[in-house]
Amino acid sequence: MEALDASAAEAPEALVARRIAAAAPGAARDAEAELYRLLAPRARRYGMRHLRNGDAAADLMQHVMALTIEQLRSGALREPERVASFVLGACRMTVIEQRRLERRRGDLLERYADDLPIADIHVAPRLDHRRVADCLDRLPERERSVLVMTFYDDAPADAIAGEMGLSAGNVRVIRHRGLDKLRRCVDGGAGVTS
Amino acid sequence: MSATMAAGHLPIETLLAWWLHETDAAETDAVDEHLLRCDACGETLDALVGLADGVRAAFKAGLVGAIASGDFIARLASRGHRVREYRLPCNGGVDCTVAPDDELLVSRLQAPLAGVERLDAVLEFSFAPGVRHRIEDVPFDVGAGEVIYLPKIAEVKRAPTHTHVVTLVAVAGGAERELGTYTFRHRPWPVA
Repeated sequence: MEALDASAAEAPEALVARRIAAAAPGAARDAEAELYRLLAPRARRYGMRHLRNGDAAADLMQHVMALTIEQLRSGALREPERVASFVLGACRMTVIEQRRLERRRGDLLERYADDLPIADIHVAPRLDHRRVADCLDRLPERERSVLVMTFYDDAPADAIAGEMGLSAGNVRVIRHRGLDKLRRCVDGGAGVTS
Repeated sequence: MSATMAAGHLPIETLLAWWLHETDAAETDAVDEHLLRCDACGETLDALVGLADGVRAAFKAGLVGAIASGDFIARLASRGHRVREYRLPCNGGVDCTVAPDDELLVSRLQAPLAGVERLDAVLEFSFAPGVRHRIEDVPFDVGAGEVIYLPKIAEVKRAPTHTHVVTLVAVAGGAERELGTYTFRHRPWPVA
């Protein structure tokens, strides 16, 4: 097994995982909540990218965090400082073997659902779409078109390129320029709502 | 402020490529790994996804006008979007409107685009005579032989009776050449 570098061993999630592992099962409630706060958003992002569905990503996040806390409580995760790697592996396995794990997930949630510390996690604020529309209006036509066609259904550059008679490289350049301007415009205004 | 273990952060282009499934398997694994350890990059990704959601919401609300491809329009229609479409031949005109439940207004402007390097569109509205709005460097697909223009449908729904003229202009080496003029005679819904 690869040695863990010093910074990884001292990462907040590693320190919190050690506290959970060192405590009697279920006794380190605050540490479990802290671990959830730290790692659940990361698992959710993985789920959003690989499952492309908010509900499925939320399910994956819950499952992986329940599994992680179970493993720490029971001592099965022998090197708690490797907790981030464990979570990544669990995310991958969950996505790959989603069907096989369906029953296990149900069992875990049934066992731990009432017991699982659910902390508030950071979710990016939703942007005011009128503000975004105003900022899109200020972009050159080509950049606006590429951004709309890209983000409407998360289309990759080669798909847009084929549809617009451009090269994929061209689309990436246009996309990059447009995105940079759009971000600066949106960030420049108070265009977020909770 | 979130802590991060990562020595460096991922460029936003990398995060976007990963999000859009443009990365190969090795790159995808590397970004997965990084994001499991780096909250700063995770928050950048969240902001990026939030921006994408904002673009999608603005477009769905009819607040964004754009030039698009035929395939893009076909995808929207196949997903059940209510699309009202007008196809105009070169130098043609049409009586047009938009219904309250239309979600997308599509104007297909047919034009001889072969050999065109840069295309501009000049817009003029009868309620502001003499005022011309020029859109430079409009994207187009030579093979399709048409420019597909999506106006802001939310604005069109509120618009009074008016005439809207679009002129497509080919630009090359400082010279300009009109390719065609397209006239939309708009009347509010319901059309008597």
